[in-house]
Amino acid sequence: MTDREVLLSLNAITKRYPGVVALDGVDLAVQRGSVHALLGENGAGKSTLLKILAGAEQPDEGGIRVAGEAVAFQRPRDALRLGITVIYQEFALVPELSAAANVFLGMEPGRYGVLDERAERDAAAAALAQLGADFEAGTPVRLLTGAEKQLVELARALVRDARVIALDEPTATLSSRETERLFERIHALRERGLGIVFVTHRLEEVRRIADRVTVLRDGRRTWTGGIGDVTDAGIIRHMVGRDVEMERVAGRAAPGAVALEVRGLGREPAFRNVSFSLRAGEIVALAGLVGAGRTEVARCLAGADPWDAGDATVGGAPFRPRTPREAARRGVVYLPEERKTQGLILGMRVRENATLAILPRLSRFGVVRARLERARAQRQVDELELRPPDIEREVATLSGGNQQKVVMAKWLLADAAVLIVDEPTRGVDVGSKSEIHRRLRALADAGKALLVISSELPEVLALADRILVMSEGVLRGELDARTATAEQVLALALTPGGSRAA
Amino acid sequence: MTARQIGARYGVSLVLALIVLVAALFVPGFFTRANLTTILLHVSINSVIALGMTFVIITAGIDLSVGSIVGLAGVLAAATLTNAAIVHALGPAAAAVAAALVGLGVGAALGFVNGALIAWLRVAPFIVTLATMTVGRGLARLFTGGVPIGFPDPGDPDYAGKVAALDALHHLGGGRVPLPGLPTGFPVPAVVMLLLVAAGGFVLTRARFGRYVFAVGGNEEASRLSGVPVQSVKLGVYVISGMCAGLAAVLLVGQLRSGGPDAGMLYELNAIAAAVIGGTSLFGGVGSALGALVGALLIGVLNNSLDLLGVQSFWQEIAKGVIILLAVVFDVWVKKGGQQVRRIRGR
Repeated sequence: MTDREVLLSLNAITKRYPGVVALDGVDLAVQRGSVHALLGENGAGKSTLLKILAGAEQPDEGGIRVAGEAVAFQRPRDALRLGITVIYQEFALVPELSAAANVFLGMEPGRYGVLDERAERDAAAAALAQLGADFEAGTPVRLLTGAEKQLVELARALVRDARVIALDEPTATLSSRETERLFERIHALRERGLGIVFVTHRLEEVRRIADRVTVLRDGRRTWTGGIGDVTDAGIIRHMVGRDVEMERVAGRAAPGAVALEVRGLGREPAFRNVSFSLRAGEIVALAGLVGAGRTEVARCLAGADPWDAGDATVGGAPFRPRTPREAARRGVVYLPEERKTQGLILGMRVRENATLAILPRLSRFGVVRARLERARAQRQVDELELRPPDIEREVATLSGGNQQKVVMAKWLLADAAVLIVDEPTRGVDVGSKSEIHRRLRALADAGKALLVISSELPEVLALADRILVMSEGVLRGELDARTATAEQVLALALTPGGSRAA
Repeated sequence: MTARQIGARYGVSLVLALIVLVAALFVPGFFTRANLTTILLHVSINSVIALGMTFVIITAGIDLSVGSIVGLAGVLAAATLTNAAIVHALGPAAAAVAAALVGLGVGAALGFVNGALIAWLRVAPFIVTLATMTVGRGLARLFTGGVPIGFPDPGDPDYAGKVAALDALHHLGGGRVPLPGLPTGFPVPAVVMLLLVAAGGFVLTRARFGRYVFAVGGNEEASRLSGVPVQSVKLGVYVISGMCAGLAAVLLVGQLRSGGPDAGMLYELNAIAAAVIGGTSLFGGVGSALGALVGALLIGVLNNSLDLLGVQSFWQEIAKGVIILLAVVFDVWVKKGGQQVRRIRGR
């Protein structure tokens, strides 16, 4: 196993983006006839590594060797020519073109710039047949299912004589039956001597298909080895690490009355049978991987989307908001993850953003009472220690942490009883992070009920009183944040599906 | 086949056939050989521009500068024809060829500027071509002082030579090819148009470049990741569009024996209208060369019929607007009808 021919090796790859080191000296060796699983939490650097492998991004440091020879990929074309194919989660397909045209995109057969469509169609059909596809090569790609599009991508790799195929979370959108078939195909490709790189979040898939495993954490490689040499718990430990701890912000008072209660909530296909309660004065974290259905739950409770099963109560009374406006009137507000697109109007001033939700209360006969508006906005902004504390400033000129404070000011002014906060510290520097944590805790101490969605384990552990963990649309369990460990949370978050439709 | 599937397959050609049928039945003087050839002549310039525009729109771009290119390329071509030194040195026939090359060259150059800014500097096509549209028109007016360049004064010492050169180009812009059964002959611009549409159709459907045009418009990022030279493709379509506009300018100068700085005003909108009516999607990824011709013909047939019926030109504008809307609604309706995936039996 270990002395197999190395098809592709990445050596000490470092990639920096403004303000962040995405990859820090990462090595990866892909062997002939083997499947190499690439694991890591969201943001660990898996996608960046794939992009470098594909030639879509260039490393700042480090080298790439293909079959032992040093190469440099300036553009995707260079990698493709050497037989390196990456299949992204968002397929690189042109929906209006036929499957055959997509298979040969960028390397169409023909002479003098004139296409040989028959050769193209026949060769594509042969490659698709080899993969067991049952649709005609002339079918426009937009009519195909996700699994069928994946076949088009695989066929594309085959006709390019790929030596290495990297798949970015190929099973994320597949049913269990489709996943089985994909595994059969990957096995067949491995038998033919190809090297496969397989990115996934699902440990049981790694057990089933991988020969070797590389784990990334925060842009560094934390472990590489044979799948037989490591336990699931070991993999999780390498993914989580132990050196990332945050200061815990403890709550003051015992939780009060139930502010929000949810029973059997469902919205297919995003999530189902979600039940929990939220008390005044407590912070409950909703943890899980990106795509686990957490944001979808939040959007339903905020009135942005309807749910199709279950019910909810707010302060004991039935609650089924049809619009965010209605939810806010009942005291439930949502601070979205995408601050810039959903939470703020960047071209407007701090004051205008802060009072947007309560303008009716600040107006008389439809005219905004300017002095009252200024006073209310200023008071709230001062309380949050916005820097600079200038309410006439354009929001676009503020830092990420201060923009987040403006969003908070808006919803604090709305005087809600339940705050649902989605990724409150994403894109915020470390200093502002703990300050936002203290603010959130202060809100809880003031009697608000907070539901915080976060993908960062240290944040979940430091901030929450209780932790709810979701995976694949299902609530997998509840942990007490004072005693929970990162490994426990991650183990729940990695729980495989089973309840998804085939 | 359902009505929707028929619509999806034959599209606006059906609508055109229907309008021609109605016009033939109810519009006196429409369905004569002379009138039908006149329509072809009238739509030829718009078709040629619309063909280039179709390439651009398939990549999800837009080219607003084509009208101004017609103006600038036209005055420079006309200036070449009426330049005493050139006419003397080359003679009328070669001067006409030179003028045609100048027109095409101006179109290619402006198209290259558009394409370079859009492909390499990644400026939005709407903004870039809006700017070149303004600059191009300004240059044309600056060059001519606002007066058309064309027929020389009778007192001009090179009067005969210049007229001969203008006449030589008129063979292209206003000439007729003898055709049995057609006393007036077949207009040369219409021949040019038909040849060009055939060539454009070939490139779009059979050439690698054409495939890339659709790929870039359908999913630019996927194309890049697949190794398609996205920037070159974008540059290429704007050069093609510019050259089509340059050719249209040459045809127009030949036809009128003069080039005016204000020629081609609003031609960009007519070309966009023809392309869109012909089924080219402004979102990119969809379109055809034949569609450009059919779209231009549809507008032409409609204008011609309303002319023959003596309808005011104001009403013709309203009719054109309504047709554009109907074409887009039709397009949406057809798209909503789900095509089926064809399965291979036995697998």
